[in-house]
Amino acid sequence: MNPSHHHHNCHCCISRRDCLKFLSMSALGAGMVGPALSAVAKERSKYANPDYVDVAKLLPCPEVRMAAAIFEKPRPYWLGWPGTTYDLDARQKEYKAKLADSSRRLGITTNLAPSPINDEAGVGAFIEKIKTEKPHGVLVILQSIFCWPWLTRLSKETGVPLIVFAPVGVAFTGHVLRLSRQPGVHVASTLEWSAAEDGMRMLRAKRMFEETRVLWIRRNERNETVMERLGAKVRAIPRDTFNLSFDKQDVSPEVRDVASDMRRRAKRIVEPNHNDCLNSARAYVTAKRLMADEQANALSMDCLGMVSAKLMPTPPCMSWAMLMDQGITAGCEADLFGAFSLMMTSYLLDRPGFMNDPVPETAKNLLIVAHCTSGTKIRGFNKSAAPYILRNHSESALGVSVQVLWPVGDPVTLVRFSNANEMIIDTGKVVSNVNTPPAGGCRTSVEVAMDNVEDCRDVKGFHQVVTYGNHRRMLEAFCQLYDIKVVRSPEHRPEPEAKIV
Amino acid sequence: MNARQRVVEASVVAFVLLHASFAHAADGVAFTSPGFPPSQMNAAGQLVEDWGAVGVKLSGEGVTDAVPAVTAIKLDGVVPAAQAVSRCGTVALTLTAFRAPAYPAGVDVLSVRVEEKQGRAANVTVTLELPAKASAGLRTARLNGRAVLTLPPREESGEKARNWGHCDEASSLPGWAKPAGPCDPAFRNIRAGMGGAPIIYRFAVRPKSKANVVLGFCESHWAEAGQRRLSCRVEGAPPQEVDPIAKWGRHKPGALLFDARDEDGDGRISVVIRGAADAKDKNPILNAIWVFPGGAPPDLKQVIAGKLNSAARRYVDVGGQNDQSLYPGGKLEYRLSLPARGSQELAFFAACQGGVAPIPDASAWTAETLRRAAREVWRDWRER
Repeated sequence: MNPSHHHHNCHCCISRRDCLKFLSMSALGAGMVGPALSAVAKERSKYANPDYVDVAKLLPCPEVRMAAAIFEKPRPYWLGWPGTTYDLDARQKEYKAKLADSSRRLGITTNLAPSPINDEAGVGAFIEKIKTEKPHGVLVILQSIFCWPWLTRLSKETGVPLIVFAPVGVAFTGHVLRLSRQPGVHVASTLEWSAAEDGMRMLRAKRMFEETRVLWIRRNERNETVMERLGAKVRAIPRDTFNLSFDKQDVSPEVRDVASDMRRRAKRIVEPNHNDCLNSARAYVTAKRLMADEQANALSMDCLGMVSAKLMPTPPCMSWAMLMDQGITAGCEADLFGAFSLMMTSYLLDRPGFMNDPVPETAKNLLIVAHCTSGTKIRGFNKSAAPYILRNHSESALGVSVQVLWPVGDPVTLVRFSNANEMIIDTGKVVSNVNTPPAGGCRTSVEVAMDNVEDCRDVKGFHQVVTYGNHRRMLEAFCQLYDIKVVRSPEHRPEPEAKIV
Repeated sequence: MNARQRVVEASVVAFVLLHASFAHAADGVAFTSPGFPPSQMNAAGQLVEDWGAVGVKLSGEGVTDAVPAVTAIKLDGVVPAAQAVSRCGTVALTLTAFRAPAYPAGVDVLSVRVEEKQGRAANVTVTLELPAKASAGLRTARLNGRAVLTLPPREESGEKARNWGHCDEASSLPGWAKPAGPCDPAFRNIRAGMGGAPIIYRFAVRPKSKANVVLGFCESHWAEAGQRRLSCRVEGAPPQEVDPIAKWGRHKPGALLFDARDEDGDGRISVVIRGAADAKDKNPILNAIWVFPGGAPPDLKQVIAGKLNSAARRYVDVGGQNDQSLYPGGKLEYRLSLPARGSQELAFFAACQGGVAPIPDASAWTAETLRRAAREVWRDWRER
């Protein structure tokens, strides 16, 4: 199958060429065309291989349609915020330019109402237009403190996710509070346009979920379902598909280049030999080919079962790290919601995550997060990679896995979809990287001091995804926009109640 | 090809299609989603699942019985579906069923479309025929505790409610509790909101009137406090939270009193029990309800002992013998008002093999998103 094949024939999608153009401008794209592994993509012609799969073409590339409008009151302004001195024309020119720039960079098709809307009739017409056109989201730039009731009406009558940019001078606490905590709404009450752009990123991330097909490689079944709310397709394929495909993958020039690249970039190599790296690169190329063949954009595999059955000479740990550095979700142990959590950081935050097993460190009251794979471009796809050490897979002593050294002292966010309707979000700070030995467990192992969790034993979830930076508010805003319940780990340990005799 | 040949060929095609559809009608039509066992619409137009069959009947002025024509169709050009079409006197009934590939096991969507054909507005009753042991709640029908059918909102169905009863997605578990010592027998039984579903009861009262409502609890699962903390709301009374183990102990019957009032004047007092926000076990339980007249509160020790049952306006052995749904069992009815030449459609989501029907409060699925899911999956599916 041609991996560049456009999956469907809907009339509304932007072309693959336009999509790639957008990706090349976005952080995802920057990551892909950046240094290191992406050199492989650049040198496609070198391989002269019709089966070569360009990772960039595996990324979901959805059309995102957004309606936009400026809400103001009839001019001239006299008293009331933003005030008579507020230069409406200048501000609107500025925000329109910013909106256009954000839309271009994020690959969002924005349909801005040709002139500001300044009365009930105009709002009604705008609502009818949205009902007809059904965009993926609406963005309103607010230019008067008296327009807030229109926003409530807009949200209620259309049901379309609503982003409100309320620059300082058009709201008091009461205005913002009422609307800003409603499901389906994201209010940015600030002069920072980037906060409105964050809302646009949420729309894009949701559309990426909807256009994603994740390969669920486990058991011996072949079927396809769709995950509620997120809209991502889950294609289950037999586990043997992967190892049989791996067996057919020879040591091609691409495989050699990938293997050499992973060794060259490593800060240190402990156990893996050259052959291990070649096998890891074969797993990477196999995964790409399989995704292309199945029209998929992500995968999650029963890797431990495969290692346990000795079906492959290497677990896919390092291969997964390479995919994740390029925006492709590659999840461990066929944990589907772990994979969706990885996808969340990739699609919304433009950086890979680190799915892990949580361990309470009770002497220091820290949470240790550990697994044998982690993205290295943890600061962002278009940022430099964190240093890593090539290790073998600790539980099996096979193949290549990775110890990524997370920056000590920096903030992290822990995110986990419990199911499609609930997300656990916590934050903390990296305290240290744990070495194996003396520790057992997984190769990338990081101590985290949790924020607002008194006792590390109370941290909720398993296979949470740790991602670099504090993104609590962004993730919470995404959840609110799409009506996903947010759960936090308890701040205080639950106290048993005193017995009443 | 000349005109005659074209006619002959068209006739052959028509015969084959007709034959095929009659063949389907005789055996019913199977449909599925990629990789899953099929469901079937039988020749009578009933949706047949592993838990039983769902049939649809119409009644009303000018409505007659009719044998449906059942055929296999493709929705949106790609989604395999079964369709039963009947002309029932003054109205036409179209039942369409397809499998939506909702994770993890799929959901069958049954749409019921009724269209007025005579040019006169009409009132039509759609009756859903379920297996005899199925019980219908507010938004789902259940069979042996399994949610088998998601229903359109019952409030809009025009169906007459009983004077009291539960209207939730909780399950009755008779004999679940093991009360220690003498107490009312209702303490042996519970309803439980599995998956965190609230337990909801409604009681008809004089509008705006007051009542003393007593809720009875007996926790027999947890041995330690701090597990199942309950949030109890009775209309018109301050909410109360209780951890039955902390307050009374394991297997110990206990009761809470609420000074209730029909606050919204709708002639009903509602009782809602949920898992408290910080509860580890979020599945609420409830053993008994007593509704006493307003005024002097009853002695709770006497209530727990079952000595005031006859003084209560309503005594409910929750999950036990005298419990009931707010809605009458058996057939499920929806009353539709059709404008002349107009139509209305109802959508039901049925559990297919190995699955459960989506619970509306806990699920984001809609008829539209389920249809889109089916379309997108079939669009890209290739058998291997």
